[in-house]
Order: sequence, then C-alpha cells, then structure tokens
Amino acid sequence: MLHINNLHVSINGKAILNGLNLDIKPGEVHALMGPNGSGKSTLSKVLAGREEYIVTAGSITYQGQDLLALAPEERAHQGIFMAFQYPVEIPGVNNTYFLHQSLNAIRKARGEPELNSLAFMRLVRDKLKALDMDESLLKRYVNTGFSGGEMKRNEILQMTLLEPRFAILDETDSGLDIDALKIVAKGVNTLRNPERAMLVITHYQRLLDYIQPDVVHVLSGGKIVMSGDKSLALELEAKGYGWIHPEWEEAA
Amino acid sequence: MNAALDNILSHYRRFAASADYAGLPDSQQTAAAALHRLPLPTRRDESWRYTPLPAVLEHPFQPIALEDDLLTPDDVEQLRLTPADSPRVVMLNGFFIPELSTIPDDGSVEILPLNAALRDLSSDAFTRIGQLSGTRQHLFTALNTASLGEGVYVRVSAGTVLAKPLEVLHVSISFESEFIAQPRLLVVLEAGAQATLVEQYAHLSDTLCLNNGVVEVFLEAGAQLSHPRLQHESLRTRHLSSLYLRQAAESHYQGTTLAFGGAWSRTEFHVDFSGTGAHCDLNGFYLAGDKQSHGMHVDVIHNLPNCTSRERFKGILYGNSTAVFDGNILVQADAQKTDARLSNDNLLLSRDAEINTKPRLEIYADDVQCSHGTTVGQLDPEMLFYLRARGIPHEQAVTMICMGFAGAIIATCEFETLEQCANALLVKRLSKLVGLSHQNID
Repeated sequence: MLHINNLHVSINGKAILNGLNLDIKPGEVHALMGPNGSGKSTLSKVLAGREEYIVTAGSITYQGQDLLALAPEERAHQGIFMAFQYPVEIPGVNNTYFLHQSLNAIRKARGEPELNSLAFMRLVRDKLKALDMDESLLKRYVNTGFSGGEMKRNEILQMTLLEPRFAILDETDSGLDIDALKIVAKGVNTLRNPERAMLVITHYQRLLDYIQPDVVHVLSGGKIVMSGDKSLALELEAKGYGWIHPEWEEAA
Repeated sequence: MNAALDNILSHYRRFAASADYAGLPDSQQTAAAALHRLPLPTRRDESWRYTPLPAVLEHPFQPIALEDDLLTPDDVEQLRLTPADSPRVVMLNGFFIPELSTIPDDGSVEILPLNAALRDLSSDAFTRIGQLSGTRQHLFTALNTASLGEGVYVRVSAGTVLAKPLEVLHVSISFESEFIAQPRLLVVLEAGAQATLVEQYAHLSDTLCLNNGVVEVFLEAGAQLSHPRLQHESLRTRHLSSLYLRQAAESHYQGTTLAFGGAWSRTEFHVDFSGTGAHCDLNGFYLAGDKQSHGMHVDVIHNLPNCTSRERFKGILYGNSTAVFDGNILVQADAQKTDARLSNDNLLLSRDAEINTKPRLEIYADDVQCSHGTTVGQLDPEMLFYLRARGIPHEQAVTMICMGFAGAIIATCEFETLEQCANALLVKRLSKLVGLSHQNID
C-alpha cells in the first residue's frame, strides 16, 4: 500500500530525514517510535502533503502512484488521513459544517453521493455514540477553545467519519488521560480491517497496550534503525532508546 | 491649490449659491454658509490622511433631477431584504419615491418627505435636522445638508415597538453619468421606542456617481435601535455615507455596516451621548478587492458618565485594494465609568493590498475601562493545510477561513436575509479571487 524508498527531507535547509525506507501493506498497523527530533512528525507531515517540507531525494509510492505529486486534498481524496499532533483552531468555522464539507468532498472524490444535512447528522451522531463522545463538540468552532483532549477526540471523530485507507496518528496519545487514550484506541481498533493500514507515531508504549501493532520501528537520525514485532516496544519502554544506541545514553 | 481642484470646489459652492434658503432651518443655512468657507479635504487633514482623494475630487459630480419610471415595483421586489408588507422607504438617487414605498397608516411609525416635514417651523424635524451633522466641519456633509429636501424623516413615537423591520432601500440607477446623489435620513426614536432599521445601498446601473449620504439618528431615553446596513453599490460608484448618532439615557444602539461595493467608499460614524447609561454597539466589515478602496472612520465621544460602547471592525483585502480604519474614542473628563472597546482586525490575501489602521483612545477621565487593538494578518497556512488535509479543496478552504473571519461581524446584524445576502456576496467575490490566483500560479 505504502512504499517509502530512500526518503530525504529537509526544512529551511536543514536535513531531517536521511534515507528512510518503509513498507506498509494493507491490513497492517505499524508503530513508529523514536526520541525527540528523530523526524517522526516530519514523516507524517510529508505524507499528508505539507508543502514547507522539501523532499530532496527518494520516493513515496501509495497504491501504485507517486504520492509526492498529489496536493494535500488529493491525498485525502485517495484515503490518506493524518490525525494532527497539534490540531489547528479555525475561529468562526462551525465544526459540524467543517466535518460535513470534509466528508462530502471525500465522498465526491470517491464517486459516492454527497450526504444531505439530515443524513450527515445521523451518521455523525452514530460515530459520536460509538466513541462515547459528547455532541457539544459539534456546535463549536473547529478546535477553537478546545482542550488538548477535546482536540484529539475531534481528530479521532474525523478519522472514523472519513474512513481512510491509510491513517497516520501523529502522537495522538501525547498529553491524554487514560479515558481519552481509550477513545483514541477504540477509534483505531474499530477501523482496523484487512484493507486499511495505519502508522501510529508515539513516544510511549502505553498506547500500544490498546492498539496492538504488527510492526514496531525505531526512527533515529532521520532513518529507521531497528524494526521488530510488538515486543520491541516493550523492550524500549524498559531499557530506553540508549539500549539501541549506547551513545544516546551518554548524550542523555 | 491647483486649478482643477479649485474648479471642483467652486463647482460645489455654486450648488449652495443657486438655492434659496429663506424659511429653511438654521442648520441648513449654516451648512450653505459653511460650503463657502470649508476647503476640500486634503491628505493633510488627519481624518483624510490615508484616503485616496482623486476618486472623489477629480470629477465635477452634477446634481441630478428625479427621473420617472426608472425604478419599477419589480426592482423593489427583487432588492428588498424585509418581508413584502414591511414598512419600506425607497430612495432613487437620493430622491424619496413614495409610490414605491410602503408607508404604514396604523400610526406605528411616521414617515414623511423631509421637505414636507420642514415646512412647519415648530416641527420636530425642523428642530433636529442638522443638529448632529452640523457639529463637524465636513464639506460633503455640509453639501448634503445645504441641498436636502428630497430626504426622509422617520419618527417612532414614544413607547412604540415596531413589529416589522423598517427598510430603507437606496437605489442608484441612471443613464446619466458623473451625478451626485445625496440621500438624507432623519430618524427619531422617542422614549422607549424599539425598532429595526435595515438600510441597503444597491445599484441597478453601472454608473460613475457619487452617493453622498447622511443619516442622523436620535435615540431618546430607553429607545432601542437595531441598524443593519449593507452597501453593495456598483464598482464604479463613489460612496460616502456619514452616520450621526446621539443617544439619550439608557438607550441602546446596535449597528452593523457591511461594505462590499463602490470603487471608493468611506463610511463615517459620529456618536455622542445626551444621557447616561446608554450603550452603543458599532460593528463593521469591509471587503476590498482589486482597484477598490474602503474607509471606516469611527468617532465616538463619551461625554457623559456610565455609557458603554463596543466598536468592532474587520476587513478582508485582496488585489491592489486599500483600506483605512480610523477609529477614535474620546472620553471626556466628566465621562467617568465609561467602558469602551475598540478593535480592528484585517486579513490581507495579497501582497499588494494595503491597510492603514489607526485605532486611538483619548481619555481625560480617570475611572474608565477602555481598550483598543488592531491586527493585520495573512491567511494562516496552518489553517489552510488543516482543511486541505481533510479533503477540502484549496479554493473552498480559503473561502471557509474568510467566511469564519467575517462571520463574527456579519452575525451581529441579527437579520437573516441581510446575513444571507452578505454571505452570498462574500462567497461570490472570494471564489472569483481564488480562481484568478490559481490561474496566475499555473
């Protein structure tokens, strides 16, 4: 589904990713871990299409096509979804309106009929209920004045509504209490199926107690330095990143 | 002064010289005299410093006669923002057209042509006309006052609550060019009266004209006026409108001015108080596109204690447009316990757009709460990316962000049809703009 080959990325002339390789097949959930500044968020932003990040070498192929040639909205239309680490406040834009426009844009791109307000409200209420989330989120402006937890819940709501083929969770677990964490995990687990793939970026093993990854990768210095099954995450938790690379411990 | 400007000034002075002022209100005679004394505005005047003047001073705008049959009931039907049976005043190029207006005869509101109202020397209209507008030295206001007579006097009697909104529809339409229309409104809400006054400035022909309007509003004790206004004149029109408002004790004014049209437009707000405990809410939005200039000039004088005011203005600029926000709140020494908040926020969508914003507070009392602030920003790339990452196409994302930005002001008019009309205008203009910018990139 996703094939990243020798990816080099820089921003403002500073190289962040230095030859990253990653293969994700349909149905797989990959966890990406790594110390601060290793390039985890850069990877998620490049995948979603943030234009400030410059790809200096390498390629990303998604469902057989050149992902880097697509605009951010085209990637969304093709089923890519990134849950933002820092969702953006958009004052004056009603959350329901935003969700509705977003879903219809994607349905239109998929060749499905757009939903009218009534059908949309029915659908969004179902999704909220499934996630044990409160409807008050809908009446407010997009992320405006939301607490950290509310913002992340809003991201998960969007994910379950848009039903992406490939979802990236960019440190969605950071700063969440255990209840919110469970909502995030529930969102991810309900979406899991043999056609979908996910990349879960996280600092901590904690989220992986609820979302069982098929593969765990460790990103460091802009490339993947180790991959393994879910036991790798446990080992990292117990031993720290220094265990992979002794110099890090000294640096820390 | 150069010869061309000299000619323009004498051109306007001739307006007054040709009229006979015997038996007319003092304020009108004073205005006529002021016309002979006042100079043309120049960039050396603080309140005209950033206003591009050639647009109004390069043409000798001519007075126009009332042209019959230009405006039809169908046109009014198309343009109206209030229900069909709402009281409605239709003004054509500054002339009151009673045949097209809907004047209720149930005594709820008195609507009279100004020339009729001013015939009685002891009338309310005679006493009030020019009382507020005459206090400022303003050539164009003086020009309007000196040539009034075709305007309208509106009075809502004490304690009356107008059930239906009153609409004043100003329409510019003519086969002539370079004419000056001078609509004049005198609005009085007596003690405890409540009304909604919807004002609309529209055009049906694309002519180069100067619309020089003056609105004087008196709110007596406890009166409440909601005053949404939409200006969507032709992109060749020069639009100057000055609102003069005086509020008595415990009165409440809620105004929203939405400016979309005009090659050149300038809206002035002059407010003061004749009683304590009054509240004034002024909201404004301007959309300035290529070759357009908009100015919002706010001048609120807190001259009495315990009054509050809110002045919120926002603008979206694109192309090579220019805009001016010039807001001043003066709190005089006696005006203790004043609470006044002034803000102006601007969104610039292009490199060539220019905003000159100048919010000011001048405070001579010591027990007041006042604030002022201004922001100038571009479209936030983070917001744009967030929306696009959710599948919303670039153009629609830009429009959504702009609508969100403007929405907070547009919603203050609390008048659904006007809100819808303003939102539609905004979407139409923005979608054109984004389409163009895409072509440029390709």
